[in-house]
Amino acid sequence: MATLAGAPVGRERRIFSFTWLWNALAHGYVWAWLGVFALPFLATLAYSLRTPDGVWTLSAYQYVFGSFKENLLLSVQTTIITIILNLLISIPAAYAIVRAPIPGKSFLLSALNLSLYTPAAVMGVSLVIAYAFLFGIPQTMTGLIAAYVVGTFPLMLVPIIVALRDLPLMFEEAARTLGATRMQSFFRIELPLLGPGISAGILLTFVIVFNEFLVTLFIAGPGTTTAALRVYNLTRTAGFQPSTAALATTMQLVSFVVVLLFFRFFGSRYLKGTYLI
Amino acid sequence: MTRVQLLDVSKRFGQTLAVDHVNADIADGEFVTLLGPSGCGKTTTLRMVAGLIDPTAGQIQFDGQAVNAVPSHRRNIGLAFQSHALFPHLSVARNIAFGLEVKRTPKVDVQRRVAEMLDMVELSEYGARMPAQLSGGQQQRVALARMLATDPRVLLFDEPLSALDRNLRDSLKYSILDLQRRTKKTAIYVTHDQSEAFAISDRIFVMNDGRIEQSGTQLDIYLRPRTEFVANFVGDNNAIAGEVTALVPGAPGEPSLVDVRAGRMRLRGLNPGNLRVGDKVLAFVRPENIDVLMESRESDEPNLIRGRIAQIVFEGPTVRVIVETDGVAIRATAGGLGRLTLLDQERRDVLLRLQEVTVVRDESAAAA
Repeated sequence: MATLAGAPVGRERRIFSFTWLWNALAHGYVWAWLGVFALPFLATLAYSLRTPDGVWTLSAYQYVFGSFKENLLLSVQTTIITIILNLLISIPAAYAIVRAPIPGKSFLLSALNLSLYTPAAVMGVSLVIAYAFLFGIPQTMTGLIAAYVVGTFPLMLVPIIVALRDLPLMFEEAARTLGATRMQSFFRIELPLLGPGISAGILLTFVIVFNEFLVTLFIAGPGTTTAALRVYNLTRTAGFQPSTAALATTMQLVSFVVVLLFFRFFGSRYLKGTYLI
Repeated sequence: MTRVQLLDVSKRFGQTLAVDHVNADIADGEFVTLLGPSGCGKTTTLRMVAGLIDPTAGQIQFDGQAVNAVPSHRRNIGLAFQSHALFPHLSVARNIAFGLEVKRTPKVDVQRRVAEMLDMVELSEYGARMPAQLSGGQQQRVALARMLATDPRVLLFDEPLSALDRNLRDSLKYSILDLQRRTKKTAIYVTHDQSEAFAISDRIFVMNDGRIEQSGTQLDIYLRPRTEFVANFVGDNNAIAGEVTALVPGAPGEPSLVDVRAGRMRLRGLNPGNLRVGDKVLAFVRPENIDVLMESRESDEPNLIRGRIAQIVFEGPTVRVIVETDGVAIRATAGGLGRLTLLDQERRDVLLRLQEVTVVRDESAAAA
């Protein structure tokens, strides 16, 4: 009896120590990588909090709400307008792609996603040429936003398509048989149920547009300097100042908070297969 | 209130004819079931009545008026889905209120009606809950309340109980029948479950391959199947292939009969009306309509057949006896206390008395 009971305990103890070692290694590995990734951000953060004389202070952040305020506001403004335009384009497009019987759907979808695979510099040059010669809107906010929409609307489209494919037709049918018109059924039933997909699109658009730099460099003109572009300009002209680091850190924090809030409220399911996950 | 008619309704999906010239006349307040295996076109038929798909040909009428061109949301129907289809982001009360709200019903009336409906399905305390917080049976009851809230002309049910477990199905099917009887609304119910169909219908339409094989009351369908498909699909049936030897006119007021010879067996059964002498036919007899007699005499009487017990299976309330006869194994079930005396009678010669024999033309033999 005693030997019978004793044997499995011994085996369990061995498994336990092996598991423990494995867990420790896995944790160490993950934390090490996290450190590598977080290091540049932490360095920038430290740099923004220290004067050249070695005094720790928050004073650099006065510029964020002073002379950089304009750039941050412009970034926020263009991001919001881009998100709204992306929504207006992507929701009907997703409906057409998922629900309408169009031939060559998958080809169409790949074509629509092309801008994601276009190098930003190529996109920038192309847009400058197109704007200058075709539309006459170089260096304006209209041009900037148009460039963002062209570059990022697939990021909105894909999660909405995923959400719409997951949404059974049954809900629309139930709404319709209960007397709802197509419009009522869309706004009261389907749109709320597509919420997670739509918010995933909003998040992706936000992260990309708010931090966009390379295309902006080509398109922006005087008066349309976004926060990201300002960081670049400052570094080029004035060297690396704590105030620049403060602006960079602020942008990073805003992005962080938005992403964390998203994961807190919506989880990650609708980001699968997109740019982020 | 509403009579529903289907006039030569067909639906084609690409190359397949899902619904093939279906005709049905459903009286006001009648409870009709479309019964058939999956893929027989019953759901497609229902969805055409609901206006969710358009017929390729034919007309659907409510009270004599064609509704083909009327969109779903203006047909004033109630549709219950296989899974309850409650809107997951709305509370129980808001789900029930939905149909009224989209029709711009005054708020006071909406609240009164929602309370009334919740009361009717005995879920008064649950208005504020979300659908995911309810059990499967409660969800389906909310779905019923939701479809009844708008006071629809016709109730349509698309296998509403198939996702539920058996006990729940049994109690809910009577709730559905009760609600239909109380509201006196015309109802069309789609199912592949014959016990459901038999329990609640005024009339059953058995569908196969896009066509209505037979329509009639439960008794018609069960006791007087007119096609091989119906005989095989509904309940358990022994099929005995044979040939018509004589037509036997029934007594006044009784249906006419036919005599069938199958090998050495002589059978007499109900004539579906379209048989002639020499026709290849199938005679059907249900296991529960066969008496097993402990005799081994020869007999010339029709429907009295000699055989030998090959196998006996005790199934609790019934005993299943498989009897080898002239080339055919016939299944019989015996109930009551008498079943116990059969248990140790394997390999013994017996006489089978067949009752309620029905005869249909053998389609496969006719085609060959």
